[in-house]
Amino acid sequence: MLYARLILMRLLKAIVVLLLIIVFNFVLIQLAPGDPAAILAGEAGASDEQFLQQLRERFGLDQPLYVQLWEYVSGIATLDFGYSYRQQMPVLDLILERLPATLLLTGTAFVLSLGLGILAGAMAAKRAKRVSGSVIMAIALLFYATPLFWVALMAVVLFSVYLDWLPAYGMFTVGAELTGWAHVLDVAKHLILPATTLGLFFMAIYTRMTRAPMLDAAQQDFVKTARAKGLKSGVIQRRHILRNALLPIITLAGLQAGQMVGGAILTETVFAWPGIGRLMYEALMQRDYNLLLGIFFFSAALVILFNIVTDLVYRLADPRIKEAT
Amino acid sequence: MKMPFIAALAGLSLLNSSVISAQEGNDQTPQHGGVIDTIIQPEPPGLVLGMIQNAPTRTVAGNIYEGLLRYTTDLEPTPQLAESWDVSDDGLTYTFHLRDDVTWHDGEPFTAEDVVFSADVFHRELNPSARAVLQHVETIEAADDHTVVFTLKQPFGPFLLSFEAGTFTMVPEHIYAGTDFRENEANNHPIGTGPFEFESWDRGTVIKLTRNEDYYQDDLPYLDGINWHIIPDGASRAIAYENGTVDVLPYGTVENFDIPRLTAMDNTCVSDKGHEYFSPFAMLWMNNREGPTADKRFRQAVMYAMDREFARDVLWNGMGKVPLGAFGSNARFQNESLSPYDHNPDRARELLDDMGYDGEEVTLLPLPYGETWNRWAEAVQQNLKEVGINVRTEATDVGGWNQRLGDWDFDLAFTYLYQYGDPALGISRTYLSDNIEKGSPWNNVEGYENAEVDDLFARAATAHPDSEREALYHDVQEILQEDVPVGWLLELGFPTIYRCNVKNLITSGVGVNDGFKDAWIDQ
Amino acid sequence: MSFFARFARNRGALAGLIILGLIMLMAALAPILFPESPWRMVQRPFLAPFEVDGFWLGTDTMGRNVAAGLMHGAWVSLLIGLVSTAVALVIGVPLGAVAGYHGGLIDDALMRFTEFFQTIPNFALAIVLVAIMQPSVTSIVVAIALVSWPPVARLVRAEFLSLRHREYVEAARLIGQSNTTIILRQILPNTLSPIIVLASLMVATAILLESALSFLGLGDPNVMSWGYMIGAARTVIRQAWWLSFFPGLAILLTVLALNLVGEGLDDALNPRLTRKRHQESAT
Repeated sequence: MLYARLILMRLLKAIVVLLLIIVFNFVLIQLAPGDPAAILAGEAGASDEQFLQQLRERFGLDQPLYVQLWEYVSGIATLDFGYSYRQQMPVLDLILERLPATLLLTGTAFVLSLGLGILAGAMAAKRAKRVSGSVIMAIALLFYATPLFWVALMAVVLFSVYLDWLPAYGMFTVGAELTGWAHVLDVAKHLILPATTLGLFFMAIYTRMTRAPMLDAAQQDFVKTARAKGLKSGVIQRRHILRNALLPIITLAGLQAGQMVGGAILTETVFAWPGIGRLMYEALMQRDYNLLLGIFFFSAALVILFNIVTDLVYRLADPRIKEAT
Repeated sequence: MKMPFIAALAGLSLLNSSVISAQEGNDQTPQHGGVIDTIIQPEPPGLVLGMIQNAPTRTVAGNIYEGLLRYTTDLEPTPQLAESWDVSDDGLTYTFHLRDDVTWHDGEPFTAEDVVFSADVFHRELNPSARAVLQHVETIEAADDHTVVFTLKQPFGPFLLSFEAGTFTMVPEHIYAGTDFRENEANNHPIGTGPFEFESWDRGTVIKLTRNEDYYQDDLPYLDGINWHIIPDGASRAIAYENGTVDVLPYGTVENFDIPRLTAMDNTCVSDKGHEYFSPFAMLWMNNREGPTADKRFRQAVMYAMDREFARDVLWNGMGKVPLGAFGSNARFQNESLSPYDHNPDRARELLDDMGYDGEEVTLLPLPYGETWNRWAEAVQQNLKEVGINVRTEATDVGGWNQRLGDWDFDLAFTYLYQYGDPALGISRTYLSDNIEKGSPWNNVEGYENAEVDDLFARAATAHPDSEREALYHDVQEILQEDVPVGWLLELGFPTIYRCNVKNLITSGVGVNDGFKDAWIDQ
Repeated sequence: MSFFARFARNRGALAGLIILGLIMLMAALAPILFPESPWRMVQRPFLAPFEVDGFWLGTDTMGRNVAAGLMHGAWVSLLIGLVSTAVALVIGVPLGAVAGYHGGLIDDALMRFTEFFQTIPNFALAIVLVAIMQPSVTSIVVAIALVSWPPVARLVRAEFLSLRHREYVEAARLIGQSNTTIILRQILPNTLSPIIVLASLMVATAILLESALSFLGLGDPNVMSWGYMIGAARTVIRQAWWLSFFPGLAILLTVLALNLVGEGLDDALNPRLTRKRHQESAT
């Protein structure tokens, strides 16, 4: 009951925020120089006034701005995200076509970084006084400080070009027409490099975030009590220390899950991953307003969704919390 | 300062020596079969030629659609959908005799009505470059099912050069007539007469074309299909060739810096043929209206200050030509007696002193089309600084660049323009004063106005025969050489890179845009 | 124990400080060691490191001295990092302070505003902003600042929330000090140390952001920054590794050093509260 009401309230709030985001982005995009008609005409290498006029009329760009905004917003109310000027397809179709690729990439990177990050952090905490612990932390720090795109480039050069172990780009082997498990395996192979690259930075953060509270927690009274009660150190670590360290990690994970769509722009560009991060960058460069707005809408919706999920997970992990926000 | 290492650069220009003649392989018997994997960059906005004239659309759809004529690498017209043609002695009537065995991909026959519809209705409505030609045309009529007659208002020298597939695409009347062209369902599944049919388009990944089994030329095409891969990152595109995913790199798909490495690979051939029809000409817009660039001496100084050989050798792998003046070497009627602008910084400084240049800042807009263009802008900025010109580069993206040029908000700006084989199609548009209009980056953007030049160009376009045109064009080049309305940077040489067992790839003046028709794989 | 002694006890922090000092020295010496413009084409292109005397790090695609670019780039990267962080603080600190001090409706409104900014993915927003303003040092600084102030606001708000009912604040209120005075004189000084720690990390993030923007071709073409150098070298990474290696290393070392220093400051400024804050500020 309580959860249901809470979720309902959060969803209502989310709708307001999304509406504001639409308006904000709509205005923002209009500020960019050039418009889609001029860009399409420009790319054609030839244009005249008639050509531009036709395009603008067709895109509805000849209408006053407030009319365009109203039409856009009322369209969204009926889940109509408009038409991509450049790709000549409904925006919703384009996004739904690309979204799974991004979710697969960021989801894998997310699980990978969270899992390995916590593991590495826990190990580093346990070995805080040993060399191996310091080495883990040094590596984490290194990942944290390295530019993402640089890692991506280096990974391609090393693993695809010199070692030829993994494909350098794309999501599957074009022309191979694989089905069933062979296809899954193929996609998995293509996924390794981009997901690892995207995950490294976050993994470093999780490692650091796990280690610190675990070291702290180990000093706290309840752990000392548990130890005094004779519980084995493995059990203590799992049951008490890690659980305490988990709460802030959940908060961060929620935030970062939302941000990964933005971070995926670079990764998707370098690895030619057909996701919405890349689509967003292209849409921006081509002033494909409808498409860009649609992508912003979806990524904002994802962030909000993750925030809500985070809150729920938070409550599950720590029943003591009643009202977080 | 003359740079001491120019001699060493010759070593970088290895391409000149390894360019293979496109015609090699003609003496072998072609084999059927095989699918070619290649790249299209960037992803085209659509595939209906005639509705969209963007370069990537032309490249992919040029294999789906056809024009009445096809052009050799010397820009001689050859039969395509038209078997033969006659031109009346006064240069006013053009009669095309069409093949009678051509069908559209949906099985409907191709007739003269399709030609009339495409030219008179479809292109007049949608296609600005065709419109520019059509303004010389009085009537277009179907004499019978397979004969079309174009009657011109006045002679138009380059008329026969305008029937290339990408410029004057033949589109099916039975599908488009009476519909809203841009909303037509068929736009998602283009239907042409070409050697390849549209199969599928997996957005962001690949466009697939398959062999047209009913193609009217027996035996052609040899290939079973073409996969156009879409790979947004330049480095990844190079890797795709290196690891064997793709076998053909059309021009402009890899960064210039990757080209020497790729061409050094085994079983790799390069051709610099296949862009004669477009002859892309890199230029520097110079704002003739205001600021230092309004002074002719300043513009001449810029020409002397730029080291164009350096740009060609370092940035373009030694491919391309440093142009003599406004007319490229592939264009007709080039006046070869003009005195060239060589790299002469001292002369540039003299000219600047002479005009009393006070160090006023000039802005430079690079062309936002990739790394080579950025490096080039940096080199030019440095060249200009060396002679004392105060340059500031302003980066823009494509949208910003379009807008700045369309609003005439620049001092210097990079661009490149197609020459389309004839000065009346691709060159005069840059200098004619009635072509000054805000909003387009392709007209007389620099704002050059010279009544004498207008007059010479106008007379030359409609003069008949060619000897008369030549005299007029030679005169106009003399004036332009003195006035320097724009900077002439480089006649670009774009290489096509491919595996050597892909034979007969480039057989026309538009290269891979329609070249897969004749190509075959030596298996 | 003195502040510096506490700082120096963290050996990593000390190393970070030394690296940072060296990088600042590089930036300061750039105009002296390489008085010519780093854009000047001075030798044959693609010289490998140590191939020719005087060009220890080689030359780039156009024959420009990589070492000169690296030194001049240090200045640009640090400047962009510092200025954009300063701008972000100027936005975030007052916002967070007002929200945390007043609480209630004002807090709610300001925090919704902050959340709103966090709902649009950071990097995406930065790209859009630079595209709108068109690439230049100013637009890059503004864009980075606009996407990085929300964590500052949240941190400051949290600090203010926990401090505003402290006795000394109540006392100040009783003697009739104005809200502005209380915020500036009483509470703000007590929140400085976590802000300093966060700021040091933000400088690092800003340098990374600038390099990522440049990598996508959204850098300022008039200044030689490290991000520009990598972006320009990416197309030739296979033939000339050194062109992206050295600036990449420079970014890595700088970001690393800033992080180490940040941690050291944290230890030194907040000996006890350190851990808790780490968790909040990392977002």
